[in-house]
Amino acid sequence: MGTEAMFGLTGKDFVILAADGQAAYSIIRLKNDADKIWKVGNMLFGCSGPSADTANFMEFIEKNVKLNELRTGIPMSTKAAASFTRNELAHALRKGPFQADLLVAGVDNEGPSLYFMDYLASSVKVNKAAHGYGAMFTLGLMDRYWKPDLTEEEAIDIIKKCIKELETRFIVDLPGYKCKIVSKTGIKEVQL
Amino acid sequence: MSGLMEYNGSAIVAMAGENCVGIASDTRHGIRQLQTVSCNRQKTFQVTDQCYVGLSGLATDVQTVSQLLNFRMKLFTLREERKMQPRMIGNMIASMLYEKRFGPYFTEPVVAGLDGEHKPYLCTFDFIGCLSTAEDFVVSGTTAEQLFGVCESFWRPGMNKDELFETLSQCLLSAADRDCLAGWGGVVHIITPDEIITKKLKGRMD
Amino acid sequence: MAPVANPKTFCLDIKKTNEVLTAPKLMDFRKGTTTLGFVFQGGIIIAVDSRASMGSYIGSATVKKVIEINDFLLGTMAGGAADCSFWERHLNRLCRMHELREKERISVAAASKLLANIFWQYRGQGLSCGTMVAGWDKKGPSLYMVDDNGDRHKGNVFSVGSGSTFAYGVLDTGYSYDLTVEEAVELGRRSIYHATHRDGASGGVVRVYHAGEPSVGRSPVGTWDWKP
Repeated sequence: MGTEAMFGLTGKDFVILAADGQAAYSIIRLKNDADKIWKVGNMLFGCSGPSADTANFMEFIEKNVKLNELRTGIPMSTKAAASFTRNELAHALRKGPFQADLLVAGVDNEGPSLYFMDYLASSVKVNKAAHGYGAMFTLGLMDRYWKPDLTEEEAIDIIKKCIKELETRFIVDLPGYKCKIVSKTGIKEVQL
Repeated sequence: MSGLMEYNGSAIVAMAGENCVGIASDTRHGIRQLQTVSCNRQKTFQVTDQCYVGLSGLATDVQTVSQLLNFRMKLFTLREERKMQPRMIGNMIASMLYEKRFGPYFTEPVVAGLDGEHKPYLCTFDFIGCLSTAEDFVVSGTTAEQLFGVCESFWRPGMNKDELFETLSQCLLSAADRDCLAGWGGVVHIITPDEIITKKLKGRMD
Repeated sequence: MAPVANPKTFCLDIKKTNEVLTAPKLMDFRKGTTTLGFVFQGGIIIAVDSRASMGSYIGSATVKKVIEINDFLLGTMAGGAADCSFWERHLNRLCRMHELREKERISVAAASKLLANIFWQYRGQGLSCGTMVAGWDKKGPSLYMVDDNGDRHKGNVFSVGSGSTFAYGVLDTGYSYDLTVEEAVELGRRSIYHATHRDGASGGVVRVYHAGEPSVGRSPVGTWDWKP
């Protein structure tokens, strides 16, 4: 578990993800505008962990999801992408694991879905999820304010509450939160 | 080793009745032991129309092994055009686990099914595939000790499917109430010669 | 003292797993907890869960983690149950002695300082306590957090225990000094409730205390079990 915060919620017809922008090297902050939410096809993958692992793993997944689409002509469903990712992560686990914690978010014919996956490669479908130390501060909060059929405004409000809580309670000041929403119509970044 | 078996938390119990057999599991998915991530984790898997396998232990291996089992079952039916008997499934799982003797799957399966004569078959394994059978009940997961206690008290021979459901559910819920790492809801499957009854249990959410 | 070479660190030494003559799990008693307390216009709210876990085993689901030190002081316990309950009972005696000697009640500040001094004395010997001392004195309501390091903090909002981070999330967003008593009780209850859901080591029932103006007195305002 790293000094990071990444969390997400499912809404009425969208999924929202937010992550801090810190890239750390030892005790040094390399940058505060890192983007930990990757666009993979028409989905969003939040990935936290050491940036070498996350970058390598995510690039591999991104390219393979694309390859699959080119081969079959069918875009992957969120479930399929999560399952594929899980298998790759599980395979890697037995020979020098990728230290990558993931949130897989997408909207397809099944509706919005969010998968929680830790570096040990167990995946589970959830409505609200969080990784890193940030999880300890935000999970209770999201349980309190999440409800089915959340609108975008309400979801953004919960994300803001989470960030505010981290700013007040977490001893590390995580900079540069990025927030993205995936819906049927595509992916957009939200300015918080 | 034991650390990994307790990483996600689980409670699985299977019991024999009169011409029926039941398997129940909790539904919690935790990480780093104490943090609850979700309350809808599947831990019991149907492998044939008369047999279920419960997988406790490390969630990633639960998923991997369940997928592997699914694959092996499908391959078997394609090749042999018949279904596997529970005893055979037990032996297959034992060798599947031992195959990975020096890099094991951290999961301890439970097999519950009815054989050709509608006789209950129950067995459990350690994570490298030592099979042990039982006539009455088998347990697995972080709640194993507590489950042994309650099952030892409440199991009796010759239960019908309704009695079996009640006993199984109460045992699971009571045991999980004494374990920090399991609970948060449950699911029960009762296998009878002509139907499979699946019910979800509401449990304490703490 | 324990008959070993270094009695001071005996309790810590037997926890180790790599030496002979150890008992690694012996000292793993009662760890998981969520407790919280906050000051608001109507006084103080203290809310706690009731689970006693020993490792992953739930020893009891009906523990009382609020100790009524006297009619004007409340203490909460997190960490070792024996350590907390013993030293808070001891604090009770010290407070009573103060009252008899000085012919006036001890202040919350002084009471919490007595406890902090004790923890300071035993520092490094393996005590395990995260407590809050709350109550009323001449100056009004106040709340202190005291732990086994000898740390002592005055504040308006505290949460202690393994589930505290989850509780803080709910507590911080809902907290305001101007809460009504009903709202405050509900906030305390909800914060613990959400913490018990996410933290495996917290659970059981939620016990909420409200310490109002001394004329009103302190009273347990309710105990809630989890409902589906």
